[in-house]
Amino acid sequence: MSENNPYIPMPVQIAKIINEVDTNDIKTFRFTFLNKEDEEKFKYTPGQFGELSIYGKGESPIGIASSPTQSGYVEFTVQRAGTIVPGLVTAALHDMDEGAQIGLRGPMGNSWPIEFLEKKNIVVVGGGFAFTTLRSLINYMLHKDNRKRFGEITVVYGARTPGLLLYKDELAEWEKRDDIKTIITVDKGDETWKGRQGFVPAVCKETAPSPQNAVAVICGPPIMIKFTLPVFFELGFSKENILTSLEMRMKCGIGKCGRCNVGSQYVCKDGPVFSLAELDQLPRDF
Amino acid sequence: MLKKTAIEKISELAAVLMDKGSLLAPVKEVSGHNFAEIKDPQKVDLNFYNTIISPKGAFFPHKEDFIKYKIGKPVSEAELTEVDPKPVFLFGVRPCDVKSFSIMDIHFNAAGIVDPYWSQRRKATTIFGYAYDLNQPVDPADFYNSLGIYAADPEGSDIFMVKKDKDLLLKSITPKGEEILAKLNTLIDAGKDDEKYYEETLQKGKEYKTRFLCIDQDVIAKKLEAIFHNNDFWTKVSFACLSCGACTFVCPNCYCFDICDDTMFGKGTRRRVWDACMFTDFTLEASGHNPRTQVFQRLRQKINHKYSYHVKKYGVISCVGCGRCTRSCPVNIDIYSIVEEALKA
Repeated sequence: MSENNPYIPMPVQIAKIINEVDTNDIKTFRFTFLNKEDEEKFKYTPGQFGELSIYGKGESPIGIASSPTQSGYVEFTVQRAGTIVPGLVTAALHDMDEGAQIGLRGPMGNSWPIEFLEKKNIVVVGGGFAFTTLRSLINYMLHKDNRKRFGEITVVYGARTPGLLLYKDELAEWEKRDDIKTIITVDKGDETWKGRQGFVPAVCKETAPSPQNAVAVICGPPIMIKFTLPVFFELGFSKENILTSLEMRMKCGIGKCGRCNVGSQYVCKDGPVFSLAELDQLPRDF
Repeated sequence: MLKKTAIEKISELAAVLMDKGSLLAPVKEVSGHNFAEIKDPQKVDLNFYNTIISPKGAFFPHKEDFIKYKIGKPVSEAELTEVDPKPVFLFGVRPCDVKSFSIMDIHFNAAGIVDPYWSQRRKATTIFGYAYDLNQPVDPADFYNSLGIYAADPEGSDIFMVKKDKDLLLKSITPKGEEILAKLNTLIDAGKDDEKYYEETLQKGKEYKTRFLCIDQDVIAKKLEAIFHNNDFWTKVSFACLSCGACTFVCPNCYCFDICDDTMFGKGTRRRVWDACMFTDFTLEASGHNPRTQVFQRLRQKINHKYSYHVKKYGVISCVGCGRCTRSCPVNIDIYSIVEEALKA
């Protein structure tokens, strides 16, 4: 029964920890697999997630932040939870050092629909901490073997402060490239900030990406989503061409435990990626 | 193959079954009957209407251990908990409950990833279905007729049992049942009149009427979808609900579970335990957001899950009308009445 038991995590080791933000509560963990066959089994697509598993604490579903084009490891960017509900797993993980072992289950869920995105112009809009699987998608599309499969790539990424921007080194690299348009904004800059200031919806409006043969991929806090969607509708994006990733409380991650449903869909298995057209078919229960 | 035994000799049959594997059968508890693993064959008691808690625990136990570990030791040293592979005899299951297993099979055994625990337990188990006693009155909470199930319906059982006065008739339904039945040497061959009685009982079972509501699964699924945002309706039907979750724990078709870590003195167990969509923190996210903070939202979820979402996802209603939720509800909420109201709304 140990063979392919979907509830049993595979052992992984923390190879690297990157402190992403100046508030020290968001870190990227790079994991390597202890068993070579597990690494081969863990074939994922951007937009999928995994369950980080710490014995004695529990499990947390977290989006995969690395791209499948980066082989040999898998990365998760994890926020330490605990302001409102006690975040046992994330707190324990944040207290761990490189070299520590934890468990991992996955990959889970559907993914960003790569085939659907091919040959199209992609507008990626991210807010704050919800940028992790978008980063996976962007790095996937930018990989030299994949870049020509996609049209123009535009990224609008915002955070509250400069110190809260994730993946700062990568953002700087993307800004240097000419095959991706990178627009970084912060709600409020500080004395060192020379970039753009403004909220994501306003910046999107200003940037005005063309809806022609384009798909918008939007992830962020509910307030950002609420004000960004009307901008894209106004620009002429149809609901079929606006994609987002839902969040719900999860346990099993494989559509069995009955926890994360929105209508007849389990977010863990049928999602987390949905188009707005698909979400319109579901009851407002999320 | 039809065999029989005197009901007063049921403990002899129980002893034979216990010899061949583990036996789960109804036993009398303080407030009614429940299925339990039999240690003393004298405890098997077929003098019951239906058990308080459904027999789903035979395949989906209240607690299922996944893995045992020591805190601070490497993940790779954790030990998997295996399901005991010995044969199980699930004895005395009412037809509506037998039907519930096939509905749960779609979720655990067929759709997407197969649940290894459910699947393994299901394979190891022989089901002894048991017709309702047609000489006893129907419990007013039952409505399994509305879901196309009859009181003496052998479908889904490996062996089907019918009470005939002081005797118990046992009929093999599947090859698995036939094989087991042939080996039960305390049974005697049934006579011609027993054959006749058995067949007549199956027929009479169709006349043994529970509450009946004409439920077309597609109609109710669409109706519930249409009234999803009718908060007045849901507030009204959930007005008395205490969110205690009793209905989900006794239900043969509720499958929601939690996965948790239970630790003490440096040792721990990762296991799944039954959970319920009626609890407030069931959907509480790490961010603090909770889509179902209100009682009406949670009761709406439960009804919709059974009568709408399950139909859309798996093509069948996830309810067998066993009446347990109605009988166990401390404030007399009745799922049948809610469905009836919904159809009229």
